[in-house]
Amino acid sequence: MDAKTTQPLGEESARGEAFAFTGTWQEFLPIALTNLLLTIVTLGIYRFWAKARERQYLWSRTRMIDDHLEWTGTGKEMFLGFLMVFLALIPVICLIFLASYLFTGNTLAKILGGLLMLAVYGGLFYMTGVASLRALRYRLSRSYWHGIRGGSDDGGWRYGLEYMWRTLAMFFSLFLATPWAQTRLWNARFNKMSFGQHRFHAEADAQGLMKRWLIIYGIIIGAFVVFFAAAASMNGVRAPSGGGAALALLAIGMFIVLYIGVPLALLAYYAAYYRRVAETTGIAGLRFRFHARTMDWLLLLLGHFGLIIITLGVGALFIGYRNYSFAVRHLDLEGDVDIARLTQSSTRAPTDAEGLADAFDIGAI
Amino acid sequence: MERGWLYDGTSAVRHEVEVAGAGESLIVRYADGDSSEVPRAKLFHVDGRGDFEVFGHVGVDGWRLGVPKAASATLGPILPPRRRYGRWIDRIGLWKAVAGAVAVSAALIFVATRFPAWVAPFVPKSWEAGFGAPIMAGLEGRFCNTAQGRAALSKLTATLTPRAGELDVQVVDIGIVNAAALPGDHILIFEELLTRADGPEELAGVLAHEIAHIENRHVTAAMVRQLTFGLFVSLVGGGTGANLETFLQSRYSRGAESEADEDAIRALQRARISPLGAAAFFAKVGREEARMGALGRGLSYISTHPAPLERERRFRASAEAGTAYKPPLDPEEWRALQRICRDDPARR
Repeated sequence: MDAKTTQPLGEESARGEAFAFTGTWQEFLPIALTNLLLTIVTLGIYRFWAKARERQYLWSRTRMIDDHLEWTGTGKEMFLGFLMVFLALIPVICLIFLASYLFTGNTLAKILGGLLMLAVYGGLFYMTGVASLRALRYRLSRSYWHGIRGGSDDGGWRYGLEYMWRTLAMFFSLFLATPWAQTRLWNARFNKMSFGQHRFHAEADAQGLMKRWLIIYGIIIGAFVVFFAAAASMNGVRAPSGGGAALALLAIGMFIVLYIGVPLALLAYYAAYYRRVAETTGIAGLRFRFHARTMDWLLLLLGHFGLIIITLGVGALFIGYRNYSFAVRHLDLEGDVDIARLTQSSTRAPTDAEGLADAFDIGAI
Repeated sequence: MERGWLYDGTSAVRHEVEVAGAGESLIVRYADGDSSEVPRAKLFHVDGRGDFEVFGHVGVDGWRLGVPKAASATLGPILPPRRRYGRWIDRIGLWKAVAGAVAVSAALIFVATRFPAWVAPFVPKSWEAGFGAPIMAGLEGRFCNTAQGRAALSKLTATLTPRAGELDVQVVDIGIVNAAALPGDHILIFEELLTRADGPEELAGVLAHEIAHIENRHVTAAMVRQLTFGLFVSLVGGGTGANLETFLQSRYSRGAESEADEDAIRALQRARISPLGAAAFFAKVGREEARMGALGRGLSYISTHPAPLERERRFRASAEAGTAYKPPLDPEEWRALQRICRDDPARR
């Protein structure tokens, strides 16, 4: 029997890093190219198998503490999960057709059509929330480490409601409540998840996020104030010539500020967001850490652009790979894991895969 | 006897084990002397991990056995083969699978491009009308009507087709130089097209083109294609499928446009209307596109219509020297039609 069951993480690797990514682009390239080829010749249907192969590679090149992860999801189950959702959505499409047909009728029919439309889109809104929890549940249930997997027995039905009202609150607060809604929803998702017999626990809050979120408002309001103040002062001076050109220059300057400043502020917010949610999420005596700073994210994105331009687009095949390895390289764990007492998950392995999330085109994290 | 490792799937503990072959089975022996036998049929290959090949056990969640890569010499025949692209593809080989998929996809695309035209004639008009109705309802209040204008439009339509009575031709006060055929035998002429036209011959060419779309049931065919193959491919095929759908749609509609042009030329000939008006119209559209840059030429390859200058040539070439062409409307009728929106009493 293995004697060393409780492993202090710091001793496992010299730099105290619980995660390492050991993949190389040379290994990944043949996978990406054959995936692309097969996806094209199958009119896109192979994409489910392509995704499974890609994840299988990425997971297998992810070392956590002392061993590598394993992805056991298959293309077939993702395809079937998609078909299930596809069939379920056919009546929804019919209802949308019916509603738009009702709009051509009299007032009563128009009202009925409007109510039907509201119900259909409300339902889709709800299912988007459900889908994001189910996608996370599926991914955990297919992720193995030491032969142990994660999962959840929650179907996401209540999470869908929570997603709805928090998102609505976000809209009605003119997005001021975004950090609050996003962190609370993160908690709601992860508190339903488990790995082995252990539950995840997440208690993220908007601490430290609000300031960065408000910077976005500051940039937008500031740009408009400067623009209108400058425009008004020019008007007062009544510059005989060149006034129009100066105004145009000012408008261009404002657009640069908005189109570069706002995305940068957004990036700074998300950098802080992921650090915050990671450090407030843990499982069985372990706590996550995510070390990526705004500059790291910026370099990642600039790297994406550069790679795509230099390779004339072929580099787009590596976006997923680069994002994944970025996440793994900046992820860390603190605390001790008692391997001898980590036992298999008792959660049911879901069969719907990511069908719903795939249909709504949303990610799991 | 080979040294390997095992996760039994119930706990995360890694067991050091010895692995040996025995006929069609693997014998896994634990350090404490216990052993278990796993039949070959229950094993599947998971991954290569460092110096080990990793195998799973059908029906035992999380069971993972690491066997040294070097052990393939002794255990080779018992160990299941590596999985790569997916079961079917692994069985027949990558290149054979690609060739097979190309053949099937090509056949599917061939059918998808042909079958809407086969099916379209059998689609009931009433069913088709249901799809046009919401669009027409959305334009409510933008249709232009004057007694003289309508009379001129009806006259022009009747010179171009014997089935003018089945068509619903409307002028809409939208400021674009275009016309459209909708499901349910509706033809829309946008006002700007009328005011910018230099004579009734220009309008006649465009109208004949839209009538040809309806009589050839191109609109129906496009709908059939979109609701069957188009929907299927763009949903199941994801991004690749959506790109393919866009490409096929443009290919299909370019074919339909060319066919409609040919029919329009014949209709103009029958009605003794000069095709030079239509040619002048496409020359105008072409000049406008040229102003938008050389990009226009490149775009015409994927756009839904043939290049306007090519169409201008086709219409111009159909003009026959010595034919006595007559204007389809007299100047008064043409003026009434051009002013159908401005003079509409309901619109002032």
